[in-house]
Amino acid sequence: MRARYPDGDGIVARDGVEIRYERYGQGRPAILLLPTWSLVHSRHWKMQVAYLARHFTVVCFDGRGSGGSGRPPEPAAYTDAQFALDAIAVMDAAGIETAVLVSVSCGALWALRLGAEHPDRVLGAVFIAPTAPLVPPLAERRVQRFGEVLDDPVGWQTYNARYWKTHYPEFVTFFAGRIFTEPHSTKQIEDAIGWALEIDGETLTAAHLGLECCDAASTQRLAEGVARPVLVIHGTDDAVRGYAEGVALARCTGGALVSLAGAGHFPQARDPVRVNLLIKQFADRFRR
Amino acid sequence: MRARLPDREGVVTRGAVHVGFEIFGHGEPALLLIPASPITHARSWKGIVPALARRFTVVTTDGRGTGRSDRPRTPEHYTPAEVTADLLAVLDAASVDRAVLVAHCHAVPWALRLAADHPERVAGVVAIAPNIAVAPPHPYAVEAERRWADPVDGPAGWSMRNRHFWRQDGGYREWIEFFFDQQLPEAHSTKQYEDTVGWALETDAEAMIAEREGRAAPPAGEAEALGRRVRCPVRVLHGSDDRCQPVARGRRLAELTGGDLVRLEDAGHLPQSRDPVKVTRLITEFVDRITGVSMHTTTWTRGPCRPKRALYLSSPIGLGHARRDVAVARDLKRLRPGLEIDWLAQHPVTTVLDAEGEHVHPASQWLASESAHVVSEAKEHDLHCFQALRRMDEILVANFMVFQEVVEEGGYDVVIGDEAWDVDYYWHENPELKRGQNVWLTDFVGYLPMPDGGEREAFLTADYNAEMIEHIDRYPWIRDRAIFVGNDDDIVPDTFGEDLPPIRDWTARHFSYSGYITGFTPPGPDQMAALRAELGYRDDELVCVVSVGGSGVGRALIEKVVAAYPLAKKAIPELRMIVVTGPRIDPATFPPRAGLELRGYVHRLYQHLCACDLAIVQGGLTTTMELTAAKRPFLYFPLGHHFEQNFHVRHRLDRYGAGTCMDYLATDPDLIAARIAELAGKPVSYRDVETDGATRAARLIAELI
Repeated sequence: MRARYPDGDGIVARDGVEIRYERYGQGRPAILLLPTWSLVHSRHWKMQVAYLARHFTVVCFDGRGSGGSGRPPEPAAYTDAQFALDAIAVMDAAGIETAVLVSVSCGALWALRLGAEHPDRVLGAVFIAPTAPLVPPLAERRVQRFGEVLDDPVGWQTYNARYWKTHYPEFVTFFAGRIFTEPHSTKQIEDAIGWALEIDGETLTAAHLGLECCDAASTQRLAEGVARPVLVIHGTDDAVRGYAEGVALARCTGGALVSLAGAGHFPQARDPVRVNLLIKQFADRFRR
Repeated sequence: MRARLPDREGVVTRGAVHVGFEIFGHGEPALLLIPASPITHARSWKGIVPALARRFTVVTTDGRGTGRSDRPRTPEHYTPAEVTADLLAVLDAASVDRAVLVAHCHAVPWALRLAADHPERVAGVVAIAPNIAVAPPHPYAVEAERRWADPVDGPAGWSMRNRHFWRQDGGYREWIEFFFDQQLPEAHSTKQYEDTVGWALETDAEAMIAEREGRAAPPAGEAEALGRRVRCPVRVLHGSDDRCQPVARGRRLAELTGGDLVRLEDAGHLPQSRDPVKVTRLITEFVDRITGVSMHTTTWTRGPCRPKRALYLSSPIGLGHARRDVAVARDLKRLRPGLEIDWLAQHPVTTVLDAEGEHVHPASQWLASESAHVVSEAKEHDLHCFQALRRMDEILVANFMVFQEVVEEGGYDVVIGDEAWDVDYYWHENPELKRGQNVWLTDFVGYLPMPDGGEREAFLTADYNAEMIEHIDRYPWIRDRAIFVGNDDDIVPDTFGEDLPPIRDWTARHFSYSGYITGFTPPGPDQMAALRAELGYRDDELVCVVSVGGSGVGRALIEKVVAAYPLAKKAIPELRMIVVTGPRIDPATFPPRAGLELRGYVHRLYQHLCACDLAIVQGGLTTTMELTAAKRPFLYFPLGHHFEQNFHVRHRLDRYGAGTCMDYLATDPDLIAARIAELAGKPVSYRDVETDGATRAARLIAELI
């Protein structure tokens, strides 16, 4: 059973892809909880929704490739621009003029696009554990060879298209372990694996390839173009997107940085109370 | 003494009228605090200014008619146009483009006019207990208003609000005393009452009448329209027991302006005086919200990843508690390896902490000096410490606000307050602010009146004791552990006051006892020769150490003892006198005398006290108990009007059979010289002082963490 059920939901079709969204509560401002990578769907916000909806209008949607949304097969359907346009379509369908954006991980890429290119729809943005390729990736991920054929890949080598075809559950298990490096995270890991197994390796491959266009130069250009208030929240022990990415994004956007000492990649799931309070504190300034 | 002095002050002149203002701090944005002048003035914000000024630029003004401002005596000088023009002139003079206005009572319409007519100058409005006709007034106020200009005969209560009565001899004062009694319905408000009446008496009946008749408060329809014209964010604070302005007015003003209302349940008309902590936080929260500056770069550490941490507060009045607190901290670290201890402390305690290598929290620099306040309260060997503590109210709240920020950011497992009055008082007054486990240490319980204070002082001390007792009864979970530094029979045989319990019984129910904490083990007879040699004391000299504590109050006693030195030296040629002036009195300010040694701060002074042949000291507990533990002969001079030294300490020393109590006023240099000759180097037979007090206290604390 959920802590809170939506007050409204719907499907919006854009560019031939159906996007499923939910709306909760009715306070001001609206908070748009953005999707992240298609690996997991909007339930990854389950620890936020009930609390935030008591204070704000909360809208979330399953990113294309996940949950109740469509699963287009081609990589071109998974660019940051596509996700950003989905967000605009959802806001329109939910009757939301402006919103505070909250993103996790590569949700940062669509949030940046929205902030830079649709500033009239954005009040401010909270970036949690952002994917911000402004600095080199974590050292341990340098062994990744996504398109190559590898014999008996281990660790980050399993981040590999061929491996996902045959060993998608194994990859998902490995990856969930890297998201949650904090001790005693069994429930969070089970949740992530369960949601990830709702899609398959092919869909995730398309979702990965669609984002290869997001490089340092484009990210920096977008980040510098964000003129709205920004809050970056990043765990110092993030084993998926290094803490340095959050530091760099805060610097580039001129935003505030809240470092979560000892936290991993999904603090919204592992440290929900602190993250909830930070989002509320950030959003409160837009109450009137 | 004030908790914080202005960084700049000035006067604006409009027409021929001067209006004073003060500026504190330099943060963004600026706040303009507007008192309901002339019945009160800028000092009415004293409980909230220091904390706000650490974050924001705070501008206060007295308002025409009181304080440092002129007191015009005709109504046309008090029209809203004049007063709001003053406020704009103050903003200009303070170089403030845009400010958040904080206004009280009938100053609220002025703030609303500024916000409506000059929106570019006003970022937001905090309206405290607004006096504005958007809802009906209290019925008794209507009747008084109707008869304002009528001659009255022997009015009582609200009908004293009458221009003829105010002009009668003593009439204005009588009205003011009634009015503020009504405005402070909260129990235990004696200090706030004394303050507000005092400020109101800084103006006079003529200025008050002129203001009242020139005020031109907007009638109902206009008041509604004024509220609707305000476009900036608004927050209204209103006490539910406000007998000046009904809370319905605050509620309606919030509706009209689209603002929020914070209803302060059971609060009266003056929450900025009576609940300064809550009001400061509500203002800060509002400003942060409307400016969006609350999110700043910071670190939050996951709960399981944190080291155990303690915040230790050591009462800074003198040096008395520093030594014992360092000893307790040492034992605590031994019992809980890895425990990190931060000290929130001020001079002179930091002198000891620095020397011991302890970590002083950097926020300590924001603490207002309690020690300087005590010195400012002292007269010649006289310190009315109960009244000094009452008059320290704004320093205590300023320091509490520093403490609260530190404790909210520091993630402390335990707060240890050795007579940290601010923490104990304001956590009981604002219990939702408590963080972590809380340990309270003290070496005396109960304020006692000095006999010459009469009935009034007996009433006041009982009122303060009653408030403390009620605090503990209502919120037994605020003090997780209360430790009495001493033993049951060290407690005086008195009661807390009329109709209040005996101190000893009550303390037994609410405290654990650590025994006395000296913070050191006195040298045994076999170690004495080595210690004296180390300190440079020869066997053939009689060493007399004169010490007056760390607070700076002891100058007069030093002077009297120094005057006795030549006489004593004549009687005992082998006398060597060493005067330790302490860290807050410069030894160079005394004229040099042949053979007399003067020193400032002496680290580990207790070693000198242990090795001396006679000591002459004030009546402070720590020093006298160090001498008791070391079994040295000593003369002690309790400070005049110091209830703790005259009653609590004396009772304890009598129990140990220790020391010779001296009356400063009745003692001349001849008597001091005679006592020196009589007692120096003579054996004593005091009761033993336990040496495990620090360990016992540390164990009591360690159980909590």
